[in-house]
Amino acid sequence: MDENNLPEGTLQLPPQWSTLAPEVDEMYYFIYWVSVAFTVVIFAAMIYFMWKYRRRPGLKAKPTGHSTALEIGWTFAPLILLVVLFHQGFTGYVRGAVAPEDSIEVRVRGMQWNWEFEHRGGVIDDLNYLRVPVNTPVRLIMSSSDVLHSFFVPAFRVKRDVVPGMYSTLWFEATQETPDIQCESDADCPEGLWCGNTPPGGEARECVLPIFCAEYCGAPRGITASAFDEGGRNTNHSTMMGDLKVITQAEYDEFIELGPPPPASCQGRDDINECWGEQIHQSYCVACHSVDGATQAPAPNWKGLFGNQRQFVDGSSATADENYIRQSILQPQSQIVQGYNNVNMPPFRFSDRQLDAIIAYMRSLNE
Amino acid sequence: MTAEVAPQPHAHAPTGEGYLTHERGLKSWLFTLDHKRIGLMYLGSVLLAFLLGGIMALLVRAELLFPGETLMEADTYNQVFTLHGAIMVFLFIIPSIPAALGNFFLPIMLGTKDVAFPRLNLGSFYIYCLGAIVAIVAIVIGHVDTGWTFYTPYSARADSSVIWMTSGAFILGFSSILTGVNFIATVHKMRAPGLHWKRLPLFIWGMYATSVIQVLATPVLAITLFLLMMEKTLTVGIFDPALGGDPVLFQHFFWFYSHPAVYIMILPGMAIVNEVIATFSHRKIFGYMFVAMSSISLALVGFLVWGHHMFTAGMSEYATMVFSALTFLVAIPSGVKVFNWVATLYQGSISFKSPMLYSLGFIALFTIGGLTGLFLGILSVDIHLHDTYFVVAHFHYVMVGGTVFGFVSGLHYWWPKMTGKMYSEKLARVAFVFVFVGFNVTFFSQFVLGSQGMPRRYYDYLDQFQPLHMTSSGGAFILGFGFLIMLFMFVKSLVSGEKAPPNPWSSAGYEWMTTTPIHPHNFAEPPVMTRGPYDYHLCTEEELFPGFPEDFKPSEKAAKA
Ligand code: HEC
Ligand code: HEM
Ligand SMILES: [Cu+2]
Ligand SMILES: [Cu+2]
Repeated sequence: MDENNLPEGTLQLPPQWSTLAPEVDEMYYFIYWVSVAFTVVIFAAMIYFMWKYRRRPGLKAKPTGHSTALEIGWTFAPLILLVVLFHQGFTGYVRGAVAPEDSIEVRVRGMQWNWEFEHRGGVIDDLNYLRVPVNTPVRLIMSSSDVLHSFFVPAFRVKRDVVPGMYSTLWFEATQETPDIQCESDADCPEGLWCGNTPPGGEARECVLPIFCAEYCGAPRGITASAFDEGGRNTNHSTMMGDLKVITQAEYDEFIELGPPPPASCQGRDDINECWGEQIHQSYCVACHSVDGATQAPAPNWKGLFGNQRQFVDGSSATADENYIRQSILQPQSQIVQGYNNVNMPPFRFSDRQLDAIIAYMRSLNE
Repeated sequence: MTAEVAPQPHAHAPTGEGYLTHERGLKSWLFTLDHKRIGLMYLGSVLLAFLLGGIMALLVRAELLFPGETLMEADTYNQVFTLHGAIMVFLFIIPSIPAALGNFFLPIMLGTKDVAFPRLNLGSFYIYCLGAIVAIVAIVIGHVDTGWTFYTPYSARADSSVIWMTSGAFILGFSSILTGVNFIATVHKMRAPGLHWKRLPLFIWGMYATSVIQVLATPVLAITLFLLMMEKTLTVGIFDPALGGDPVLFQHFFWFYSHPAVYIMILPGMAIVNEVIATFSHRKIFGYMFVAMSSISLALVGFLVWGHHMFTAGMSEYATMVFSALTFLVAIPSGVKVFNWVATLYQGSISFKSPMLYSLGFIALFTIGGLTGLFLGILSVDIHLHDTYFVVAHFHYVMVGGTVFGFVSGLHYWWPKMTGKMYSEKLARVAFVFVFVGFNVTFFSQFVLGSQGMPRRYYDYLDQFQPLHMTSSGGAFILGFGFLIMLFMFVKSLVSGEKAPPNPWSSAGYEWMTTTPIHPHNFAEPPVMTRGPYDYHLCTEEELFPGFPEDFKPSEKAAKA
């Protein structure tokens, strides 16, 4: 993670951060120079003729002859070049299309206007945050729950549409870790990185590779779209961005075992768990659950929930203790609270650390 | 042949009374069957659409001057760029050259009195108006924010005004089909005696190829939009996965029309460039038959490459391979045209009047647009460039640098014939400089934006892209200013322009053989073609320079020198 040794971009292309990138760039520059050559020849001929045969006294146009050989020549000669272009482009494409056998898999869900990443063992990472190990092929299995999106990482030179009603896949192998740099704006980050999404509630941002949504997916009607809203959720197509962090294999293994670490903005605080729980609420639960005890919401309010007696639609009841909360999050359909059977809560697979944080946050609401 | 086109005795059209003045009053325009007047009414409408679309473009560019909110909210921005694209494509570019200039000049260049079906021609104009009104009403009262591509399922779930907008496009499609049928019949049946296929002006070849695509491809658009309307009104699942449909199917349908449609847009531009290059070089286009056939082959191969818009959408690897290979094939006829135009300049006598400047501009910009199309045809590279500003720059180079430059070139070229007035060449050149420079500043910077990874249709963007976005916006204002000068120049010409001679550019083209102002029946006597439209070596000076100020005649000048 030597900050001085990061890949550099060129005037035309961003830094190369995957095994695929050098190959794509080579093709890009090949066609670029071919184009430059064609352009120079055509423009030079044009300008020369324009000057040489400019209309002036005494100069008469010669009647046009014809040369079938010339015509056939410039019809078929470019064909050779085109066959080369096609062949190279296609083989490159196929390499990019077929993931190696030993790839690890990550499940990606696109939704208006956020990305959700689920890793091996059901570990759900923070919203819009993708961690991948360096030097390991990663295969993404993607789906959309609403409209078309497209997963695009310029540094990897990969892009694939995310389509509702079907899975699409994409793979890459990152070649370099992203450096650990805290930032306040993109200007603080090395070339090709951006100062990622604002984590819920916190100010601490870090430099990461940008993930874009490349397929137009709209904006909410009549809401002023400041780039990112309070909960770290994105609010329209142009801000449907994700943070891509390349880490070491060891760091990744730890992440898979323990789940995502507490956000940087909570670290070092006494109430680290409550802080983290609040942020999880902001990213995943705020759409349905409110916490102030007052507002009408489609799901039970969390204020005063912990330790309370719950009545279920099947007539049974239970006390809302740690186990009950845990169960309600992992398998929400197992017990349905009375009066709330018209909205279905989706199951969430959080790590133990995250569940602890949510419970700590809920308890803190009772104080 | 002559029998069907022979004009009636024109007792009601005394010599000197042109088509503009021989009948007067609003009714004589609204119910006219004269292809020239219909052409002018189309011209007015498409120019209005161009103005509207242009204002939208400047709003888009102004918003993108800075990241974050500059002028409007994300939602408004999405509507503005949608309107820009939809108006420019459906109301301006597609009808621009064929329906306005084509309508006007196709019969004249065929040496005939009118198109084959004059009533149908007027009908298609009113269908165009109806479609335009429906689309504009949808825009004004509704909320259309899908982009000009109307991709499902976004469009299937969006506001119901999308239905109105697509109905507008659906109706416009019929106008396009009818014009196409009319032109095909006219070219086949109404050529003047002596005008055999090998003498056909290249403008006519281009119009003919365009018409073939219009007739074959537009019905597919109509079907697609119809299915979309069915899905929305009757909730039949066709494209929306929530109803059991397939969203990618829509893309196949859409591009099956819209790729051929890009040739509906570019072929007429090329057709005009052929005429202008020939006239201002005083030479027949090099490789006439190859150029004519390249239009036809573009029209045909253009039907087979729609999949290149969907390389990232999840087609099978085999389909992807075939579409990529075929895409490279369309580059061949495009290249053939460019080579032949350049070869035409060789040993010509080249005059740099404003129409020629725009046509030379066309060749340069189309070369860049076409070559960047190759970047996008290369599969591995397209994966990176797809849906970024690179694609935006590519299609603006071909559609603005190509079609719009061709259209503007034709407008300058034929203006004296259409209006009977000359315009200020000086102002025209000043406008050209602004348009050419502004265009390149606007769109060249977008190639770099795109290859650096800036996605398209973005309201907000990363700080790193700001300098290039600002450059692009600056260029857009220069470009807009150039068009304002042009507008002023044409208005000035209408108000106080000098009277135009019949053949101000000393062209051998058939349309310059008639009088200015044009006779209501195009030619006082039905012409018989005894030479090709580019046979400068067969023309006498009287034919080339009637009404030409003495000083301009090359032979006079040579004699003096
Ligand atoms: C789509 C809306 C929705 C979202 C998002 C949602 N929930 Fe729920 N949740 C519900 C509904 C509805 C109920 C009541 C029915 C039931 O018990 O399943 C509920 C019930 C619960 C309960 C039991 C509450 C009680 O009154 O006994 C807990 C605990 C809970 N949710 C936690 C969460 C957490 C943690 C999150 C975020 C990670 C979350 N929910 C996100 C809709 C949602
Ligand atoms: C040399 C010939 C050309 C080639 C090889 C070519 C190739 C391509 C390819 C591969 C794409 C898809 C890019 C992507 O979305 O990833 C594309 C997009 C496009 N091209 Fe071309 N093209 C050529 C000429 C033209 C011409 C002549 C026009 C129109 C006048 C045109 C108009 C467009 C438009 C409008 C789009 C994008 C539409 C959209 O996504 O909104 N192209 N071209
Ligand atoms: Cu999206
Ligand atoms: Cu295409």
